[in-house]
Amino acid sequence: MQNVSIINFLSGLLVITSLMVVISKKTATSVLLYAAQSFVLVLVFLAIGKVLVSPELYTWGVTALITKVILVPYIIYRSFDKFDSSPIEGTIIQPKLVVAITAVIVVLSYFVVNNIHLNVIEENHLKPALTVSLGHFMIGLTCIITQRNILKQVFGYCIMENGAHLTLALLANKAPHLVEIGITTDAVFAVIIMTYVVRRIYESVHTLDANDLTTLKG
Amino acid sequence: MSNTFLIYLVLVVPLCTSLVEFALGRANDSDTRRATKVNVIGISVLLLAALKLVAQIYDDGAVVAAGNWLLLDSLGAIFLGVTAVLAFLTGLYSVGYMRNEVGHGEISINTLCNYYGFFHLFIFTMLLSITTNNLILMWAAIESTTLASTFLVGIYRQRSSLEAAWKYVIICTVGVAFGLYGTILIFSNASVVMPNPEDAIFCSEVLKYSDKLDPSLVRLAFVFIVIGFGTKMGLFPMHAWLPDAHSEAPSPTSALLSAVLLKCAFLVILRYYIVIQGTIGVTFMQNIFLLLGFLSIFVAALFIVIQHDIKRKLAYHSVQNMGLIAVGIGFGGPIGALAALMHVINHSLAKGLLFCVSGNILLKYGTRDMHVVRGMLKVMPVTALFLTCGALGLGGMPPFNVFVSEFLVVMAGINSHNILLTVLLLAILVLVLSALVNLVSTTIFGQAPPQVDKGELGWLTLAPTGVLLILMLMMGTYIPKPVTNMLTAASRIVMRDASASVAARDVPEIVLKWTEDAQKSVKISALDTARQEK
Repeated sequence: MQNVSIINFLSGLLVITSLMVVISKKTATSVLLYAAQSFVLVLVFLAIGKVLVSPELYTWGVTALITKVILVPYIIYRSFDKFDSSPIEGTIIQPKLVVAITAVIVVLSYFVVNNIHLNVIEENHLKPALTVSLGHFMIGLTCIITQRNILKQVFGYCIMENGAHLTLALLANKAPHLVEIGITTDAVFAVIIMTYVVRRIYESVHTLDANDLTTLKG
Repeated sequence: MSNTFLIYLVLVVPLCTSLVEFALGRANDSDTRRATKVNVIGISVLLLAALKLVAQIYDDGAVVAAGNWLLLDSLGAIFLGVTAVLAFLTGLYSVGYMRNEVGHGEISINTLCNYYGFFHLFIFTMLLSITTNNLILMWAAIESTTLASTFLVGIYRQRSSLEAAWKYVIICTVGVAFGLYGTILIFSNASVVMPNPEDAIFCSEVLKYSDKLDPSLVRLAFVFIVIGFGTKMGLFPMHAWLPDAHSEAPSPTSALLSAVLLKCAFLVILRYYIVIQGTIGVTFMQNIFLLLGFLSIFVAALFIVIQHDIKRKLAYHSVQNMGLIAVGIGFGGPIGALAALMHVINHSLAKGLLFCVSGNILLKYGTRDMHVVRGMLKVMPVTALFLTCGALGLGGMPPFNVFVSEFLVVMAGINSHNILLTVLLLAILVLVLSALVNLVSTTIFGQAPPQVDKGELGWLTLAPTGVLLILMLMMGTYIPKPVTNMLTAASRIVMRDASASVAARDVPEIVLKWTEDAQKSVKISALDTARQEK
């Protein structure tokens, strides 16, 4: 039971870190916060592994540590250390509003999760964690929709991806290990390709503001 | 050659070709000829292996390989055939098209090698999504199609192409992430109800226990799946990436995106449709298909009419036709499934042809604006002929193929008593045809701009297009028996018919209620006459 409350506490921490990634104004801060969040995710994996007695999750934790805590932040940081001191362009919505939207999302996720009846979740009292995983996914989506800075949108995708990964850990931890490797590889490559495109755009258009990228219409 | 060997070969060939091309791109002495040669060998071996595999599936039924991770049945075989044929023809077209681009200094030789590398990698990922039986790998394969093709979309590195590449990668990865959620929900539910939870990862195994899944969970999962893979399929309102990516990519890639990629995403949705109908029946899913399908057709038709950019116009046609495929499934019944699957083949051929033609126009005129492109009949008569046939064919004029499948969709509508929707569909199709006729009449007649010199761009840009035209005519006038059998077998799989496991060669024909009635009444009237004569 104690482990379960640790999982739920850590899941709450995930929401707070993702909020901070969305709100933060500098690339370097966002990178650090994202790394911190991924570290919390690794801890969640280990805790779930203990509760559900599924040793697979320990290996998942190791892969997540390597890819999400080290590799992805490193890739983003290396690509952007040239202009990390520049403030993030594009209209950023008020932090208060982000907090309000997050609250709404978490409540909605709660109602959706309430309708899902799966033994694994109900027997182990993991509904709050599942709520957070779905909410996390939606917070990432909100970040992509509301932020006009395309680099911020990459972070939005990373947050969504962490949410999906947590759902996977809660619901599909018996899947073959190769599947988990496939998903993680996909996510890493997605970030590599996105940052590559963002950098090319910055080099040729000198902006990261999505509002300036409106050549294609209709 | 054994079936399992062939299925491995089909996957290994494009992967290896892509690796060789990347290696060539790294080498200091890379040249166009070597890169082209590797490409041609790759697409040719792939075509032969794929056709042989499809033929063997036709004779012997489904193939399972790699411990159930790979599975190819008649349904998958249709998509495999389409992919292999289109990959071969667009790969061949790439040779002529890209030679021109390198000649004009638009791209460097290293970029050319990378282009071919990503081209084959893209084909590999699409083939993986078609052949895999592993639900999560299916998702991963669709996700990697985006990653493999982003570079192809942004290859010119201009502002507009980078913008298109960005939109493409962000919208599709985010969209497809929804698909992952749907996949996880189905998997976790199946692993609870199945006696052997490890098997819940396999689509074919989940299918056997689909009646035990939780209905409300499955409904939620299907919505996630339609949003996720529907983004990739180009359905409204998730289609925003499609016109940009299709218009900014080099034309052979546009052809591949439109003709094959959208269909691969459709196949994934269809796989879930087959599973989920065992749990909640078809009504809920058919209504979603009808709603999104009609919205796609309607909105796309408006953009088709107002758009002046030839490639964007064609891109909206993809949205419209994918909508039509969704409507076919939405109308339901064996005829609806048959119509949708036949439209998959027919639209691929027509759109492959038209994007190749648009490539020729772009190379010649240097623009995609249909108000500048004039006098094609005098400048490039063969391409003009191909454009005319392709556009009229795509619009649904006989004797071309699209007419047959559109006619079947209409029949499915009548068969399912959706008369009002069918009439509305026909009205929109007329509007779309008029826009295509307008495109043809504007571009082929009139006075060509003075700076454009006469003459075609060489046989390599014409031959693949010509082959596509012949295939379109063939599918419109005389569909070979194996193709109809394969389509029938596939639609029986979609319907979860008891005879679905039979090899396509021996599959029973689909008998419609009204043909049955007509045959009965003929028999009865014959009996009556016989009686009277007595």
